[in-house]
Amino acid sequence: MCVFVLIASLSTQPLLQKVLRKLAFSPQTFEDLGVEKEVAVRRRLAKEFNKRREDFDDLRSYNDYLEEVEDIAFNLINNIDVQETETRIATYKAANAALTALNLQREEAYALALKEQEEFERKEREARAAQLAQEQQLEREEKEREQREIIDKLETSQKDARAVVAKSRANAAKRLATVSGAGKPQGLAAMGFGFGADYAKLLKSRTTSKKGSNFVPDEPHVPFNDDWYSYDDLYVFKEGYDDVVSEAVRKDREGIMRAGGYMVHEAWQRALVSAVAGLDLMPLEGLDDVNGTTPGNLDSNGDTIMATV
Amino acid sequence: MQSSASTSTPPPAARTKKPLYEGSTQFKNWRYSQARLASIRSTLNEAAVSVIRTTFEAYEPGSSDNVTFLTADEELLLVTFYSTMITKICGRFRFPEEVEATAVSYLKRFYLKNTVMDWHPKNVMLTAVFLATKTTNNPISLEAYTSNIPNTIASDVLDLEFLVAQSLRFEFAVWHAHRALWGIWLDLQSLPDTPSDFASSQSHIYDSAISHVRSSRLTDAELVYTPSQIALASLYLTDRELALKWLKSKEGKFQSNPDTPPDILAAIEAIANIITRRGHVPDVEAVREVDRRLKLCKNPEKVVGSKAYIARKAEEDKKAEDKRTRKAEEVEKAVAEGDPFGESLDKPKPGLVDYDDDDDD
Repeated sequence: MCVFVLIASLSTQPLLQKVLRKLAFSPQTFEDLGVEKEVAVRRRLAKEFNKRREDFDDLRSYNDYLEEVEDIAFNLINNIDVQETETRIATYKAANAALTALNLQREEAYALALKEQEEFERKEREARAAQLAQEQQLEREEKEREQREIIDKLETSQKDARAVVAKSRANAAKRLATVSGAGKPQGLAAMGFGFGADYAKLLKSRTTSKKGSNFVPDEPHVPFNDDWYSYDDLYVFKEGYDDVVSEAVRKDREGIMRAGGYMVHEAWQRALVSAVAGLDLMPLEGLDDVNGTTPGNLDSNGDTIMATV
Repeated sequence: MQSSASTSTPPPAARTKKPLYEGSTQFKNWRYSQARLASIRSTLNEAAVSVIRTTFEAYEPGSSDNVTFLTADEELLLVTFYSTMITKICGRFRFPEEVEATAVSYLKRFYLKNTVMDWHPKNVMLTAVFLATKTTNNPISLEAYTSNIPNTIASDVLDLEFLVAQSLRFEFAVWHAHRALWGIWLDLQSLPDTPSDFASSQSHIYDSAISHVRSSRLTDAELVYTPSQIALASLYLTDRELALKWLKSKEGKFQSNPDTPPDILAAIEAIANIITRRGHVPDVEAVREVDRRLKLCKNPEKVVGSKAYIARKAEEDKKAEDKRTRKAEEVEKAVAEGDPFGESLDKPKPGLVDYDDDDDD
C-alpha cells in the first residue's frame, strides 16, 4: 500500500524526469546508499561489459577496455555526464551485441558445468559410503556367524573345546584372507563410476602402502603390573559360559550395549574374582580393634564429626 | 578341609602380593566382629540417649521422665525394615540389583556412625538409594526420582546427601554377594563333571540361591563376612552338595597360612544360620510400635520447628554472625593500620631465606 501511495505521489512530482516503476524498487541491502547504488550500477554493467581476456589480441587493449568500463561505472555512480555515458553504453551495446550474447552463454554453460560436477562428486561420495557400510555389515555378519558356529559346535561336539575354538578360528582367518585379498579391489573396480583414473590410483597406492610397509600390528594391551594378587590361580577362565545374566548383551547384534566399552568377558572375570575373593578370610572375633574403627566419631551433640577441614 | 592341610602349598610368588579384596575399603573399614557390631550399636545408642535426654531437660525440665528411648535392637529393627523399603523403591524404578544392594549397604553403614533417633531412616533411605544410583553409574534425575515417590520433595533427598556421604567416609565402592554368586555360578561350569546344559537346566538353583543372597541383605552378614562367603552360603542353603563340591575344588589353593587352614565351612554354616534366623522382613506391627515411640524420643534439635531446633539454629546463627563480625573487625583494623593485606613482606626476616627475592641479579 505505502509503496503505491509513494509512487503515486512521486510520479506527479514535477522535479523528477525519471519514470518510477514499482518493479524497479528493491529492498536495501547496504546501510550506505552510495554502496547500494554502486552495487546496482556494477551489476548492470557486468551484464553488458562481459568481454574476457581471450577476446582481445593483447593485454594492452584488454586493459584499455577495463579502464573504459571503470570510467563508465565511475560516471554513473557519481552522476557525471550521465546522458553522455548512457550513449556510450548504448553504442558499445550495439557494436558488441553478438560477442556479449556469446559470453553470456559461455558463463551460463560454465555455471552449469560447475553444478554438474558438484552433483557428480556428491553421488560419488554417497556410493563410496554405501559400499563401505555394506562391507562392514558383511564383515559383522560373518563374525557373528562364526561365533554362533563356535558355540553350536561347543554344544554339540564331544571334542575338546580348545580344539574346536582353534579350528574355527583358523577357518575364519582363512576366509578373512580371501575376502580382504580378492574382495576389496574388485569392489572398488566394480563401482565403475565416480573414480577419476588418477584418483583411483592414488587411493589404491594408499591402501596398498598401508598394507605393506606402514602396517603397524595391533599389539594386545598389557595392563600395568602392580602388587595386587587377583586370585587368578583360584579359577580357570573359560572362553564362554552358558549364562542367562549376560544373554542380552551377547545377543546385541548392533552393539548398542557394548558401545560404552562393556565387554562380557570382563564382566565374567570380575564376577569370578568376586566369587573367590576373600573366601578364606575368617571373620574378626571379639572387641580387638583391628581396623582402628572407633564406634562412631561423635561430638557432644551426637553429630558425626569427620576430619576437620 | 583338614585333610588337605598338608598338601596345600600356596605359590610363593603370590604370597608377597596383597589380595585385591584386602585393598578394598570394605575390608579395611567396614569389617567388624559380631561383638564389635553390638558394642558400636550400644555405645551409639547410649550416647544418643544421654544427649537427647539432656536436650529435653534443658528446654523443658522433667520432660524426659516419661519418654522411653529406643534400644539398640529397636534401632536395628527400624533400619532393617527400611532396608526392605529400599527393595520396594528399586523395584518401582526397575533399578539394577547393584543399586539396591549398594543402597542397603550404605544404609547399614550409615547407622554404624549415626543413630535412628538423630536421623530418621525414611529420609536416609531415600538419600542412600539416590546416592547409590550415582555411585553405581545408574543415574536418574532428582526430579524423576522424587516425583515417583509419594510425599517426597527434592530437599528430603539433598539435605542429607552430604551427611550420608560423609558418614560413609566417601567410600562408595561395595563388593556385593550377588556378583560373587554369579561368579560361582559361572565357575561351576568349569568343574570337570558338570553337564554341559547345567546352567540352563538347573537355573532354579541359581534363582533360589540369589533369593538367599537377597535375604542376607537384611542381616549383618556383609559387615562380618566376605561377599564370596555369603554367596557360597546362599548356594549352600539351596544345594548343599553342589556348594561343597565347588568349595572342595578350591581347596588347597588358598593363600592363607597352611598350618592353620581357615575353616571356611564353619563360616559358611554360620552365615547360613544367620540368613535363616535373621533374613526376614521384620514384623510390621513391631516396627510400627517402634516408629511411634521414635516420634516422641527423636533428638529435638533435629526436628524442624521444635523449640530445641530453633534454639540450636539461633545459636549456630549467632556463632556464624560472631565469626563474621570478628573477621570484619580484623579487616577494619588492618585497613586502619594502613595495609589491608596485613604486614608488608619486605621486612627482612633474620635467619630465613628471603623467598621473595626472585630476581636474578
